[in-house]
Amino acid sequence: MNLAAELATVVGAEHVEELVDPPGLRVSPGSAPEVAEVIRRAGAAGAAVHPVGAGGRPTRVERDPRGERQRVYISTARLDQVVQLDEQSLLVHVQAGLTGLELERILAPRGLSIGDYPPVVLNSSLGGIIAVRTPGKSSARHGFFEEAVVGVSAVLADGRTVHTRVAPRRSTGPDLARALCGSEGTIGFITSAVLRIHAKPEARLVASFVLPSVDAAIAAVYLALREEAAPSGLRIYDAIETAVHFPGARLEPGEALLVAATAGPTDLAACDRDLIASAVIAEGGRTGDHGLAEQWWKRLHAGVATPGPQPSLQIMATPSKLRPVYHAAIARAAELGHTASAHISRFDPDGGLVFITSDAPLAELERAAEGAGGYLLGARAHKLDGYLRALRDVLDPNRIMNPGTLS
Amino acid sequence: MHALDADRLQRDLEAIFGPRRVSTRAVDLETYARDMWPRLLIEHRDGTPAPQRPYAVVWPEHVREVVAVVKLAREQRIPLVPYGGGSGVCGGAVPLRGGITIDTKRMQQLRSVHADELICDVEAGLNGERFERELERRGYTFGNFPSSIYCSTVGGWLATRAAGQLSTKYGKVEDRVAGLTVVTGRGEVIETDGPSRALRGPSWTQLVCGSEGTLGIITSARLRVSPAPQLRVFRGFDIEDIAAGLAAIRRVVQKGLRPAVVRLYDELDTLLNSFSHHDASAEEPALPPPVPQLATGALPAWPDAQPPEPGFVEKLVMLAKGKGVAGLRDTAMKAALGQSELVNKLFGAVERVARRGCRLVIGLEGARIRTEVEAALTFAELEAAGARDRGEDPGWSWYRHRYAVSYRMSPVFRGGAFVDTMEVAASWDRLLDLYHSVRTAIGRHAVVMAHFSHAYPDGCSIYFTFAGQAPDAAQSERIYDAIWRDGMEATTRVGGTISHHHGVGLLKAPYMAGEHREAMAIFEAAKLALDPDGIFNPGKMGLRGRAK
Repeated sequence: MNLAAELATVVGAEHVEELVDPPGLRVSPGSAPEVAEVIRRAGAAGAAVHPVGAGGRPTRVERDPRGERQRVYISTARLDQVVQLDEQSLLVHVQAGLTGLELERILAPRGLSIGDYPPVVLNSSLGGIIAVRTPGKSSARHGFFEEAVVGVSAVLADGRTVHTRVAPRRSTGPDLARALCGSEGTIGFITSAVLRIHAKPEARLVASFVLPSVDAAIAAVYLALREEAAPSGLRIYDAIETAVHFPGARLEPGEALLVAATAGPTDLAACDRDLIASAVIAEGGRTGDHGLAEQWWKRLHAGVATPGPQPSLQIMATPSKLRPVYHAAIARAAELGHTASAHISRFDPDGGLVFITSDAPLAELERAAEGAGGYLLGARAHKLDGYLRALRDVLDPNRIMNPGTLS
Repeated sequence: MHALDADRLQRDLEAIFGPRRVSTRAVDLETYARDMWPRLLIEHRDGTPAPQRPYAVVWPEHVREVVAVVKLAREQRIPLVPYGGGSGVCGGAVPLRGGITIDTKRMQQLRSVHADELICDVEAGLNGERFERELERRGYTFGNFPSSIYCSTVGGWLATRAAGQLSTKYGKVEDRVAGLTVVTGRGEVIETDGPSRALRGPSWTQLVCGSEGTLGIITSARLRVSPAPQLRVFRGFDIEDIAAGLAAIRRVVQKGLRPAVVRLYDELDTLLNSFSHHDASAEEPALPPPVPQLATGALPAWPDAQPPEPGFVEKLVMLAKGKGVAGLRDTAMKAALGQSELVNKLFGAVERVARRGCRLVIGLEGARIRTEVEAALTFAELEAAGARDRGEDPGWSWYRHRYAVSYRMSPVFRGGAFVDTMEVAASWDRLLDLYHSVRTAIGRHAVVMAHFSHAYPDGCSIYFTFAGQAPDAAQSERIYDAIWRDGMEATTRVGGTISHHHGVGLLKAPYMAGEHREAMAIFEAAKLALDPDGIFNPGKMGLRGRAK
């Protein structure tokens, strides 16, 4: 029996599909035990397995370092159930194929929320959000998405299923769930996770401010964060980008627009908004048009399209590097005779993301931003590759789990 | 380790450390044979020498010396045991198979505090109190205030996933780590995580944190700091019973409010505490709350930490011995005569009849404006949940004496009794079950009291203190072991975790399989990847090591 036929006996023929480009089998198991069985059989047949999330299609196919072999793409599309909702502990056990936004729609009628993470992040399957560690999957109010992960269930290369146990905090060895988070399917195939969720906030407030410069806006943000404001969203637009995103908004050249959203008990949401307003005054700014902030929040959360082109480059920078990274990229574009604009958002304890929009050669902007201390998306700590290899040698000696990735 | 050539080892170590930072003197080896695990103190009180000692103790001052000693140990297959302050209470630093104990305390620089990033770079051997005072001087706090702060190190905190008293606001240490520098069992220096999470791959930081020296030795860390608090607010409340108290706390933390500390004492804990130092009521004139000062706000000077005699630990021990405690209904007490189960029940009953309720202590600290708003919302939420405001004094009283307890244990052991603490945790839906199950399990053998502290939006920790007594060390150890066995089994049965912040060491190693079950495979794999020869802290944490 060939592998396709064999896997059809596990998941049903209608859930096995031959792919042409890239070549391979796409299998959609309907349960965690089916995932385990698919991995066991694929491994026995000498095939490699690759996770596929909400997109349904393999996005990036890495070269297999052990030579080409049959590939099985395991889709989490049918793993879309909420397994358990614990409203007392504010925990949800959810299968990997459900997207963050789908989960939000399930939680909302119960007065609950996954939290104020960027909606664009939540548009992916939860398994994918957890399995790939990139900056920006975070919130100034709740922290990093992976910190909301309390437990993970995953299938290892030999078909064993592991469930890391749930506790609010523990002191019983390494955080085993965090070995699976970020491992991009190389250590285990994540089938479900237990996530911390939140009560829907009593109040949501937005505000907009105009600052004399992008630098002043960044300074105001950090002044407010230091005074412990925990906004649910923050974004800085430079003057050029403000004109594109908010036609009609009037900023002098060089000025910056800061939009902010706060949430929580009403008094606290107001307190956070006022702390930001107060920091803005300290940095020489003024209150802006409230309508702009409302527009921004609506676009972000109601799926209203943002005018203008998509950003061409995202760079992560720590708090002290945001200014140099922004200026380096803009200046490099100018040197090359191109215009460039930027917004800065996704503020979290690590820093923030600078989104550059420009038609200047991308590689030039990247080099300038990296030179100023920024991190390009997808950067890796190569010095630790040997340890990941050793970890995989123990758990996956035949390298069937997403081979080529993180190596 | 077989046929150890002691002279050769000494020569090799002196080649790395020089003659003054290597010791094979008997007094040092005896000192480094144990930590503060109470079971070892029971043994020690009878003058029994430690059954396991290191072959040598070394004091590195630089990471390259650590690399050198790891390479040496690898070549000669000698176990290595990292050692910080020696304040662990689970036997994690016991050199089970001899070997070289690496004391990190000479690596103690606070190298930098990066104000823009709110990150500091600190060496692992720095003492907790000195670390916090040096940060305070610069206007920051790390926010980790364990009761061991005067005798524990930053590296020890990270290796065990320690928690401080203010963890509800600041988190546990693992929540405050940006990256670690580690010398692995391969003798290589690695930096886990860059300055940010921009890097793909699994979190090596979170794999090494809590590994208690079994994967390598942490030599320095990039830790997140916060601006030093400008305002500190404390309050005491009384509430009907534990269930009502827990519901009130849950309401607060799930609203997104972050008090620094919340503590709810069960009936016995409330009673013993209110007879000692926590209740500044009629007989004790109320002290004015200390004015928070940036320079000295967080840590009391040593002498202030001692509460008036006797403290609640002593009272608990007196109960265990069947003695009355002044004011605690002498006749009833004497009738119990050390029968712990009866005493435990009796106190539940006394408490219910007296309708004293449970004491809840809560404190907030932080930036002035936001803390004021949060405090008002927090206190209102507690009152809405039925808690009765008892003013500032009970809160400040806890705050002033919060480091006292840990240093009061030794005299108890000399007196023939023993006392220990068991800190477990669970999500809110299992918390009351956890409390009743563990209290019953311990209560079969010893007098037990508990408080709930370290509250989070998804759950909370319970801190049981128990005291027992037996005519000799052998019997004490038997009772002691039974308490832990039954307590750990009860915890796992109801779905709690066997340790919130003390760690595993030797004490809880037998229960690790029950705690993690099949997921231990990942820890085992990490062990093989980072320490392929199994030289780091062998025999700990329930790791099996490479199959022979």
